[in-house]
Amino acid sequence: MVKNNSFLNRAGFFLLIIIILLFSVFPFIQMLSTSLKYQWDWGNPSLIPTQINLEAYKELLNIGQLEKDLPESVQNLINETPNITKAQKKAIIAKFKDTSGVFPFFRYFRNSLLLATTAALLSVSIAIFGAYSLSRLQYKGRSTIQRGILFVYMFGGILILIPLYKMFVNMGFLSTKAGTFTSLLIIYLVQTLPVSLYMLGNFFRTISFSIEEAAMIEGAGRFETIWKIIVPLSMSAIVTVFVYSFMIAWNEYLYASVFLRGFEKLQTLPIGLQTLFVSKNAIWDRIMAASMMTAVPVILLFMSIQKNLAGGMSAGGVKE
Amino acid sequence: MTLVNILNQNNLNRQQRESILGWALILPAAAIILSLILYPILYNIYLSFFDVNLEGGNTYIGLDNYNNVLFDPTFWNSVLTTVIYVFFTTIGTTVFGLIVALAMNKEFPFRWLVRSLVLLPYVAPVISVVFAWKFIFDPVNGIFMDIAYEKLGIFSERFNMIGTPEYAVWVAILFSIWKGFPFAYLMILSRLQAIDATLYEAAEIDGANRWAKFKAITFPEVYFVIGSIVLLRIIWNFNKFDEIYLLTKNVKVLAVYTYFKAFTGAMEMGQGSALALVQFLLLIGFILFYVKKVLKW
Amino acid sequence: MKKAILIIMAALLILLPLSVFAGGEEEVQEAGPVSFDFWTTETQSDRMATIQVLIDTYTTLYPDVSINLVAVDENDLVTQVQTSSAAGTLPAMFEAPAETAVAFGVEGIVDITAATEIVKGIGKEKFYQGALNVLETSAKDGYYALPYHGWIQGIWYRADWFEEAGLKPPTTWEDTLKAAKYFYQPDKNQYGILVGTMDGEGYDEQCFTPIAMANNAALFDKDGKLVFNSPEMKEAVEYYAELAKYTPPGPQTWRARDYYLQGKLAMFYYSTYIMDDLALAEVAAGSLTSDNFESLKGTGFDPELVDKTRLAPIMTNKSSAGYGTVVALGLFTQDDSAKTAAAQNFVKYLYTQNAYITFLHMAPGGMNPMLKEISTNPRFQNDPKGIFKHYGAEKMGEIIQGLDSIETFSIVDGNRMEAASQITAQKIIPEMIYKITQEGMDVDKAMAEAESKMEKLVK
Repeated sequence: MVKNNSFLNRAGFFLLIIIILLFSVFPFIQMLSTSLKYQWDWGNPSLIPTQINLEAYKELLNIGQLEKDLPESVQNLINETPNITKAQKKAIIAKFKDTSGVFPFFRYFRNSLLLATTAALLSVSIAIFGAYSLSRLQYKGRSTIQRGILFVYMFGGILILIPLYKMFVNMGFLSTKAGTFTSLLIIYLVQTLPVSLYMLGNFFRTISFSIEEAAMIEGAGRFETIWKIIVPLSMSAIVTVFVYSFMIAWNEYLYASVFLRGFEKLQTLPIGLQTLFVSKNAIWDRIMAASMMTAVPVILLFMSIQKNLAGGMSAGGVKE
Repeated sequence: MTLVNILNQNNLNRQQRESILGWALILPAAAIILSLILYPILYNIYLSFFDVNLEGGNTYIGLDNYNNVLFDPTFWNSVLTTVIYVFFTTIGTTVFGLIVALAMNKEFPFRWLVRSLVLLPYVAPVISVVFAWKFIFDPVNGIFMDIAYEKLGIFSERFNMIGTPEYAVWVAILFSIWKGFPFAYLMILSRLQAIDATLYEAAEIDGANRWAKFKAITFPEVYFVIGSIVLLRIIWNFNKFDEIYLLTKNVKVLAVYTYFKAFTGAMEMGQGSALALVQFLLLIGFILFYVKKVLKW
Repeated sequence: MKKAILIIMAALLILLPLSVFAGGEEEVQEAGPVSFDFWTTETQSDRMATIQVLIDTYTTLYPDVSINLVAVDENDLVTQVQTSSAAGTLPAMFEAPAETAVAFGVEGIVDITAATEIVKGIGKEKFYQGALNVLETSAKDGYYALPYHGWIQGIWYRADWFEEAGLKPPTTWEDTLKAAKYFYQPDKNQYGILVGTMDGEGYDEQCFTPIAMANNAALFDKDGKLVFNSPEMKEAVEYYAELAKYTPPGPQTWRARDYYLQGKLAMFYYSTYIMDDLALAEVAAGSLTSDNFESLKGTGFDPELVDKTRLAPIMTNKSSAGYGTVVALGLFTQDDSAKTAAAQNFVKYLYTQNAYITFLHMAPGGMNPMLKEISTNPRFQNDPKGIFKHYGAEKMGEIIQGLDSIETFSIVDGNRMEAASQITAQKIIPEMIYKITQEGMDVDKAMAEAESKMEKLVK
C-alpha cells in the first residue's frame, strides 16, 4: 500500500508510532520504576531508581521471606490460655506465622481469568446468534427488542447494585461458592450482552448477503451458514467483542467487592489489589509491583491472540 | 434439535420459519438482560418517590426528591462537568483510535509487538493504573511537575493537576482517552482489515493521493463503525464511575455525584434514585440528539 | 478441524466454572452450631493475622462457636453496610470509628441493649469516662457500642528545623502560623504545614476541630442550640484558611504525610498511628549501608528522622484543646438471638487482659486502651516496637490520659449531640473548608451555606 514514500514521510510515520507507543506505555514505566525503588527514594521524581530494590517482588511472590516474629503479647495470650492442647497451640501459631496470604497472586489471577474467560465466551456465543437474529432475520417485534435492550443498557448503574444484590440473596445464590460465581457471571453477561449484540449486529450487516444466499441455495441450513460463513468472516469483530467482554469482567470492582466479600478464596485481582493497597502503611513499591505482575501475563495473553488473529484474518470477500 | 425439526417442516412458509428462528435466537440474550435488569430499574424508580430509611419504613414524599435534586446548583454543575467529560473523551478516544488504527494497518518492523503494547492501557485493571497516574501528576514528587516546572519552566509555580477540580477534569479526560482508545483502535482496525485491497489499487491507478484515498475509500468503510463507537462511548462515559472515582474524587460527574449522595454522608438513597433516573433521561436526550443531528438516522 | 475447536470450546465452557471449586485448597471449616461474621476496619494483613489468632484461641476454648473475620475498608464500610442491611445479612459484630457506630445507631440497625449489657458487665467505672460519653445515647439510657481503642492527634514537627530557626514549638495559634510561613518555600519544594483541604475528607474536620475549640468555638451550646455562626468560629475558619496557604499545592489529605517522611514538610496534623509509620522509616534506613548515604543527598531522606520528630498534641489560643478518636466494637441487630449472645461473649473476651494487650500491640501508639487498668499494665507498656521506651512511659501516659477528656463538636459538657454526628457524617465542614481554600469562596458566604445545611439537620 505504501509506495513511493519519501524519507521524510517515513520518518514522520515512525515518529507517530513512537509517540503512540510512549503515550500508551508511559504510566507503566512509572509503575515499573516505583516498584523498584526503596521507600526513601519515592520522593525522587526521576524514573531511574537511585538503588534497585527487589524486595517488593520477593515479598509478593513469597520468596526468601523470614518467618514472622511471634510478639510477646501473642505468646502470653496462647501460653496463659487454660485448657488448650499443645497441638492446638502449634496450629494457631503456624497460621499466624504463615506469610503466603499477603498477596496470593496466582489464586487471584486464576479466579479473574476463569471468571473473565467464561463470561466472555458465553457472551460471545449467545451474542452471535442474537446478533444474527437482529441483523439478518425479518420478524415482528425485532426492532422493539433491539431498542429495548439498548434502552435498558443506558440506565447507568451503581444504584442497581442494591436491588440486584437483594435479588440474588433472596434466590439463595450467595450462600455457596458456585452460586456466587454464577451470580457474578450472570451480572457480567448482563453488562456485556447489549454491547456484544450491538457490535456484532452492526458487523454482520456489513457482510454481503449474497454469499450467504449462495450457500443456502446449495442446501446449507441457517446454523450451518452462521457457522461456516458469518463466523469466519467476522472473526476479527468476534475477537474484539470477546476482548471487550473479557475486559469488563477482568476490571470489575464494585460488584465483585460486594458479592465476594464472604468468599476470600474466590476473590479476583481488582479486589486483591485493593486489599493489598490497604494492607500496609508504606505500600507504593508493593502496589506497583503487584500492578506490574498483573499487567505482564495479560499482555502475553493478548500478544498470542494478536498473532493468531493476524494469521487467520480473511482479507477479501467482505464487501458492502 | 427440535428447533431444526420444526424449521424443516414444510407446512411453514419461509416468513413464519424466519420469525420463529429469529425469536429463538434472540431469546437467551433478551431473557438474561430483561429478567435481571428490569426489576432493579423499576425498584429504583419506586424508591425515587420515597424518603428511604435503612431499617425499612420508607415514607412517600412525592416529588420532593426530584425537587431537591433539580434545584441544587451542584447538580447542574455536575451536569456541565459530565457534558464536558463525555464530549472530549468521546472525540479523543475516537480520533486517536482512528489514527492508531490507520498507523497499525501499515507494515513496519515489530508491528506485532507494538500492536500488543498499545493494548496495555485497555487490559490493565483500572485500580492498578490509577496509582501510577497519581504518581505522575503528584504536585510535589511527580515527574510531570518536575519536567514542566523544574526542567522546562512552563509553569511559574507547582500546582496540583490531579487534585484541583478545574485541572483534574482534564487529567480525567486524558486518562479516559488513554484507557479507552485501544477499544476504538481494535474496532476500527478490524474494519480496516476487511477493506478490499483492490479498491486502493484501483484508486492509485486513477492517480489518487493519500488523502483522496482516505476520503473516498477508507472513511466511508469505517464510517459506520465510528458511528457505533461514538454511540457506545457516549453511553459508557455518561455513566462512567470507577475510572473517575478511583483517579480523583474531585471530578464530580453525575455518576460520582450520585454515588456521594446515595452512599456517603446522609445516605440519601431516595435522592440518589431520583438522580439515577434524571441521569437516564438526560442520557436519552443526549443520544436522541446525537442520533438525529449527527448520525442523521 | 472446526468441529474439534467447537467441542473444545464447549468443554471449556462447562469445565471452567467447575475447576474453580475443584481447584483444591478447599478448607474444611468446622462450622459450630453458632457462627457469626465480624467486620473489622483493620485491613492491614499483619493486623488481620493478629485478630485471627484471637479468634482461633477463642474458638478453641469454645468449639461450638465459629467466627468469620471479614476486613472491610473504612471507605467501603457504609456501602457494604447498606447492601447487607437491605439484604438482611448484616454481621453480628463490627469494629468501626465511634462516630460511624453512632451514625449506624441513629439509623436503628445497632443492638443498643446488647452493647449496654456488656458495658455494665465490665463495669462503667473501669472505662475512661470521656470515651464512654462519645458512644452514649442522647437519652443517656444506653450505649450504641463499646469503646475499644483510641488515638490522639496533634501536630508532628521537625524539632531540629525549629531549633535551628529559633522558633517555638507549634502549640499556639500564633507560633504555628509563624512557623508555617517560615518553612513555606515552594521554590525549594518545601512546605510549611499539612492541614486537610480536600472535599469529603474527615481529615479536614479532624485538623479543624482542635483549632476551633482552642478559640472557644462550638457547633452547639449545652442546650443543643446551633451556635455555629459565631465570631469565634469565623476567626477559627479564617485562621485555618490562612494556615492552608502554606500546605503543598491543591487539595490535600493525610496521604501527604509522605512529604514529611521525605523531608519536604515541617509540620503535619496526624494521629499517634504515625509512631508506627515512622518506625517503618527506621526499618527502611536499616537496610542501607553507609556508602549509600553519599548518593542520598538531595533526596531529602533522613535516617534519624524519628529522633528529630516531636508531637504537639494540644493547641492553645483563648483556651486549650486536643483531639482524638475512639474506635468502637458494636453489634448489629440480628434475627437470630444466639448470634448476638455469641458475639457478646466474644466482645467480653476481647476485653480480658491478654487478649486486649495482644490487640493493642498491633499498632503501638496508635491503639490505646479504653480501660484504665490496662494503660498502666507493665505488659502493655512493653510494646514490640519499643514506642513506650522511645517516647517514655510518662509521655505516653499523658497521651492516653487525653482520651479521658476527649473533645469533639459532638460532646458538649458531657452531653452527646446526635445532630453533630450527622454534621460530621455529612462532611459539611470539609466542604466549607474546601470551598474557601480551593475555590476561593468568601468566608461569610461559605459559613452561611454550611449553617443552612446544619439547620436542616437539626430540624
